[in-house]
Amino acid sequence: MAPGRAGLALLALGAALLGAVAGARAQAYPDVRPVPKTTDPAALRATATAREIHERFHIGLAAMTRSDWPAAQAEFARVLDLHPPEPMGSTAHYDLGIVDVNQHDYTAARTEFAAAIKLDDGFIAARANLVTVELKAGDLPAARKSAAELLARAPGSARGLYLDGLAALQAGDAASAARAFGTMLSHDPSYATAHYDLALAEIQLGRMDEAERELQAALTLAPAYERARFALGTVLLKTGRRDEARTAFEQVARSAQDPELQSLAASMKDALSH
Amino acid sequence: MQRFAGRSVVVIVALVLGGAAAGLARASVDEIKGALLQPSALPAILGPITDLGRNGWDCAPERAAQAKSAGHAELPSDPGR
Repeated sequence: MAPGRAGLALLALGAALLGAVAGARAQAYPDVRPVPKTTDPAALRATATAREIHERFHIGLAAMTRSDWPAAQAEFARVLDLHPPEPMGSTAHYDLGIVDVNQHDYTAARTEFAAAIKLDDGFIAARANLVTVELKAGDLPAARKSAAELLARAPGSARGLYLDGLAALQAGDAASAARAFGTMLSHDPSYATAHYDLALAEIQLGRMDEAERELQAALTLAPAYERARFALGTVLLKTGRRDEARTAFEQVARSAQDPELQSLAASMKDALSH
Repeated sequence: MQRFAGRSVVVIVALVLGGAAAGLARASVDEIKGALLQPSALPAILGPITDLGRNGWDCAPERAAQAKSAGHAELPSDPGR
């Protein structure tokens, strides 16, 4: 073969290869979901189960949206009977726990949130709901333990700190409550409610100056926070400033929306006027 | 939680009305502390999650549970805010 003809042959081969590559690109098809083609009974059953889980979740959530709790409960219970894989299993327990809370069955709700956590240790929303339900049920030791476990996995969680602080306050552990609300406020000092709760802890600890400072902060952030103003009145009374206390109670009596708070503040104001 | 228990109100009103003005401050504030200065309300339960909602942990309840800012944690609104 003459050298010129060999060169031409190589060029032709290269062109053919390039054409083939270009052709392959031009013929790229969009992804198509493979249609499951199997006659294996186990595989068919698994496909049907996965679909049923998905559909029952959908129906259960729709029932929750319209507050049809018994219907939602039946759907999530059926999902759990199907032994769904994670994260669907823990999520089904979590959703069922919410249904139980709305039916005021706190014992069942605790069981479901605990089951969700057992399946997924890092499920923080389930941990937060568990603490809330334990507080609703009045089980302070359990609530405090669950709050501590939540915060160990999500340090700085505002909800975790808030629940931890409330549990400590209700248990009479003012020092722990002050730590929780103080940490919470170090992350976000704009939440007036946490200033109020911190003030309650400071009152329990006998630190009236700190309590007054927190209540003033709460009222600066939320000037219509009459419960904080009432608490401020008690601090002022405790520190011997009767005139200022009377002024605070007078304002609560004038502005509070809660008729009981309003009535009590009026009584306090009248008693201090004598 | 936010509302006063009726019994507490009766007790404190009785204390206030029954107390002599001079002795009121120290006599009743301790009672008020115990009976009336209640902690704030519990937050609402975090909401439901879909069957696929926690893939990648990108779901609203999980974000709220982990948020460090009170404003993103779905906590009770500040009164009067």
